[in-house]
Amino acid sequence: MEYVNPLTGFRIDGRRPNELRQIKGELGVVANADGSALFEMGNTRVIVAVYGPREVQNKSQQNNNQALVRCEYSMANFSTGDRTRRQKGDRRSTEISLVIRQTMEASILTHLMPRSQIDIFVQVLQADGGTRSACINAATLALADAGIPMRDIVTSCTAGYLCSTPLLDLNYVEDSAGGPDVTVGILSKMDKVTLLQMDAKLPMDIFENVMQLAIEGCKAIANYIREVLLENTKQLESRRGG
Amino acid sequence: MATSARGGGEGEAAAGGGGGGGAAAEMEVEAYRRLFPVAYFERHLRESVRLDARPLASPRDTSVALGLVGSADGSALVKFGDTTMVAAIKLEVMTPPAESSDEGSVAVEFYMPPICSPTVRPGRSAEVAPVISKQLSDVIMSSGMINLKDLCLINGKASWIAYLDIYCLNADGSLFDAALVSTVAAFTHLEIPLVSVSDDGRVVTVPGELEGKTKLPLVNKDKRKLMLNNVPFSLTCGLHKEHILVDPTAEEESIIETFVTVVLDTLGRVVSVYKPGGSVLAYTSILKECITLAKRRAQQLRNILNESVSAMEVDKSS
Repeated sequence: MEYVNPLTGFRIDGRRPNELRQIKGELGVVANADGSALFEMGNTRVIVAVYGPREVQNKSQQNNNQALVRCEYSMANFSTGDRTRRQKGDRRSTEISLVIRQTMEASILTHLMPRSQIDIFVQVLQADGGTRSACINAATLALADAGIPMRDIVTSCTAGYLCSTPLLDLNYVEDSAGGPDVTVGILSKMDKVTLLQMDAKLPMDIFENVMQLAIEGCKAIANYIREVLLENTKQLESRRGG
Repeated sequence: MATSARGGGEGEAAAGGGGGGGAAAEMEVEAYRRLFPVAYFERHLRESVRLDARPLASPRDTSVALGLVGSADGSALVKFGDTTMVAAIKLEVMTPPAESSDEGSVAVEFYMPPICSPTVRPGRSAEVAPVISKQLSDVIMSSGMINLKDLCLINGKASWIAYLDIYCLNADGSLFDAALVSTVAAFTHLEIPLVSVSDDGRVVTVPGELEGKTKLPLVNKDKRKLMLNNVPFSLTCGLHKEHILVDPTAEEESIIETFVTVVLDTLGRVVSVYKPGGSVLAYTSILKECITLAKRRAQQLRNILNESVSAMEVDKSS
């Protein structure tokens, strides 16, 4: 199948190889939560709610020096093309929960909130490739909305390699093509990589190109997220100042 | 932080401006609200007003949006104030059982994921979720909203099973009412995909673009939308001492112990009344009043739903 048109260079959804899908982020979508955000990357739509810092529910896990970070990832039954009845604790969900937790933990200043717990709940409403990345981006926004201190903005993006071209931000069709899929998560200002996942085989130099492309994508998303947060703060200020 | 500022502001207003201004007074009101919730609540009731300054018989602002989930055959987002529900329907083909060979089926499931409320812990689902699932499927069946025969494709061989999944994204009271409206809205939005039968007897869905081009016979060309009769709408009222509070929020639900849920259909007939215990024993007069309030609310909800349907049709045609 022709993922990149050899004549025009367009991908199947009309994007260029180094073009991100349309992204949109919104803060404060779940009123009950301490912080929440909705993040869309193309057709992938994800809601993250953050509860915390609050009292540790399982006292045996309480840490006297830092906050406990917990994450739960779940996909709605209607989120993918076929409706699948998903078990709560299935392997993919557990793995992604772990990945998101460890990625966000690298950025949260947990030592400032000892003996407490921060819960990050992720709900995928629509999945069209890049769900992991959308979840991390949404989690960053939600943690910022909750006022939880972080070292830096964590953003994530995927990149792949099909038809001899590195492609940025794969959608579901491109992801299931069987080519390599690199997911990168970075701390944007500090320029440090906190998450890196890849499956399938890639020669070393091509891998570097693909990873570099993904990092560029992450930086672009970080700029957007910074704008969203700035806009949100301005609105809060105008509401408060009156 | 924003929530407490809002609550403090309303509390001040309701307490008749007593306690002066300033952060100290706001903190006192907020503390009073947390430490003595029942007294705080009853102080509001004495002025015939509720914690969010609504009159007793007034429901919250309701909004309905259709077609939110692109990957589903029918979907809707409903908000009652802060309570948010997303409902989506996915249709799959199944072989009907012998005793109902000309009927399809509907499977309803209500989920309360941990994002919806600080009280829902991961690993242990909320207690009310399966209760609401059951209530919803009972109401759908007993109101006769959907004629299961409409979901039949080929008698005895193939019929539709409609999987309805409702996710609560924010739980702030009146969960059953919001879930029911989202169910009705999702079924109103539902568009049954075109199918045709392949050579080996399998039923395959035909995507919209190939409508004129496929050589296989289209089985259900004229049955794309479900006919909904006797659409049910519900209203939950909380009973506290002698007051009836319409559409309670989660804070009110934690203080009030007795609730009455009335479900009415399009003709104003009572489909179901649900009063699961509670300290207030309701006389017939109170139940009658709940039914009258439910009638009014049902009319309101019907208008809101019709508006969103016509808004969606305008979007489609434009």
